[in-house]
Amino acid sequence: MFLALSALIVASAVFALEAKELIYGAIGLGMSLIGVAGLFILLGAEYLAMFQIAVYVGAVVVLILFTIMLVRRESGRIVDEEEPASFGRAGTYVAALVALAVGGAVILLAPISPAAPEFYRVQLQELGRSLASSYAVALVILGLVIGATVVGGLTLVKIEREEKPSGTAQ
Amino acid sequence: MALGSWSLLAIFELVIFITTFPLLAFGWLMGAKGKNPIRDAPFESGQTRLGEARLRYMMQYYPYLIMYVAFDVVAMFLFTWGLAFASLPFAQGYLFLVFVAILAVPLGYALYLSGRRDLW
Amino acid sequence: MVTQLQGLPGLQELINSVLKIITSRTFLEIVVFPGFLNVLLSAAFLTWLERKVIARVQLRIGPLYAGMWGILQPIADGIKLLFKEMILPELADAKLLMLCALGLMMLAAAPIVAIPFGEGLVIANMDVGLVFVFAVLSLFPSVVLLIGWGSNSKYSFLGGLRSLFQQVAYEIPMWLSVLGIVMLTGTLNLTEIVRAQQKVWFVIPQILGFAVFFTAALAELERTPFDLPEAETELVMGWMTELSGAAFMVGFLAMYTKLYVMSALITTLFLGGWSGPSIVPEPLWVVLKTFLVAGVIVIIRGTFPRVRVDILLRTGWTRLLLLALANVFVTVIMIWLGFGWVWRV
Repeated sequence: MFLALSALIVASAVFALEAKELIYGAIGLGMSLIGVAGLFILLGAEYLAMFQIAVYVGAVVVLILFTIMLVRRESGRIVDEEEPASFGRAGTYVAALVALAVGGAVILLAPISPAAPEFYRVQLQELGRSLASSYAVALVILGLVIGATVVGGLTLVKIEREEKPSGTAQ
Repeated sequence: MALGSWSLLAIFELVIFITTFPLLAFGWLMGAKGKNPIRDAPFESGQTRLGEARLRYMMQYYPYLIMYVAFDVVAMFLFTWGLAFASLPFAQGYLFLVFVAILAVPLGYALYLSGRRDLW
Repeated sequence: MVTQLQGLPGLQELINSVLKIITSRTFLEIVVFPGFLNVLLSAAFLTWLERKVIARVQLRIGPLYAGMWGILQPIADGIKLLFKEMILPELADAKLLMLCALGLMMLAAAPIVAIPFGEGLVIANMDVGLVFVFAVLSLFPSVVLLIGWGSNSKYSFLGGLRSLFQQVAYEIPMWLSVLGIVMLTGTLNLTEIVRAQQKVWFVIPQILGFAVFFTAALAELERTPFDLPEAETELVMGWMTELSGAAFMVGFLAMYTKLYVMSALITTLFLGGWSGPSIVPEPLWVVLKTFLVAGVIVIIRGTFPRVRVDILLRTGWTRLLLLALANVFVTVIMIWLGFGWVWRV
């Protein structure tokens, strides 16, 4: 199962890189992130997996798609022009394979036997409790940061609207 | 068969896929084919294609997408916090309220601004 | 149920095991009820219901000829659409469109696996059921955007953009409006949430959350008064304009599947799920309440005018969000005053 998901993630990432059309690249990214969420589920972090999908695939990929669609709109086809069979591309893949091989060798040959991660289901209530108690200050700071983001967002909407003489509907 | 929840979800999705895909394939194969420039043109109620002003117009709502990302993350933390809320002592409960208030203040101001249409 | 067959010994075992799987409870749950058949038939039924109810609201009668009371109308529509040509504009990405239509259907039906239709009658009892539903819902905007874009048509793309912004704007208030329920029950498991409502349904203490959730759900479903992405007199069918034939049927059915699933979700979260006097079996209560909610949504469609897009977005991001946060505040007060025990599982 793990191997299947990893294969999916890597294959989607490669597809995202190689796809001629940027839109397909974004879709490949989405598939890759869904694969990552699957890995989270395998590790027992279901809550995180759900929000991984909601935040990354639901929001970030949408952002990317929107940007692609509205920033480059020539004749309906967005193509990533690139010279075929360049050494740069081949070199990237070779480097990735080498890194994989070296990393795998290190892991397999290391004298420390890695403890298999136990399937420990995080109790969400405990998580909430510890979050509130130990990390309370961090959360408040996070709140301030997000508040700043909200202010920024709303201001941007205001500025953008000012640049358009908004009359009636549409 | 004791399967995990996710496997059951996968099976369910597979069932839907297996039943819906043939419908699409059937429709694709059964439909009459014929390339015709008029038929192939996008639907515009008979008019020829116009400009792109409307699409540029939607760009002004881009910041809403950014706010969506931010609030998505906020929701994750709020849910974690909220799950444990009932068993928290008062002091930590206050922090929760502080967090929500920090988020609510800019929204309240935006609400006020939306009433003053000339400013926003 | 062992069938005796001469001949290949392996074949008999195969048939036995297939029979065992088909009659296993899990399979029945997934395929028949509350799974696939339930979803499919209910979605088709809702298309008929909508046409009938809207017709009555508009002093018409609605479908009449296909079967008694026109109940077979959805089947007639389906067969017709299946045989129609799938007209696609030039440069439109046919594979992408069909794939996305398929994806719409799969996404729309997905949350049903976590929704309980009775004590123990749920396909997959997820401990994170509630956020699972939210994660699935969050995937809709990108699929719709892809359909609008892939159609290579200004109308479709504009409709897709509008739908994207609308759904994105109303998803956050929807999530936050159920935060109150989560705080009261301390669990994300939908079965537990229903169990917690044995004494009082959440629609009463969480009336504000219910209002926010209902409004946001209307926006998510792209129903009036929020159906601008589908504004029939303006954008034809919005992002679905270029889908025709079988692809349209799948997309159309997906929208009504989503309606059914969201109504079931509202029933589970706010209306007590399967709880009710025992004269009626539990799953039937769920179905009845779900169709009640769906019926109200349909009536609303026939009654309210449409909301303009910028007002829509602004209201979602400011007023509705604040109302959801206010609901959280009220819930906090309620818990601190000691009322939390009523819904403790």
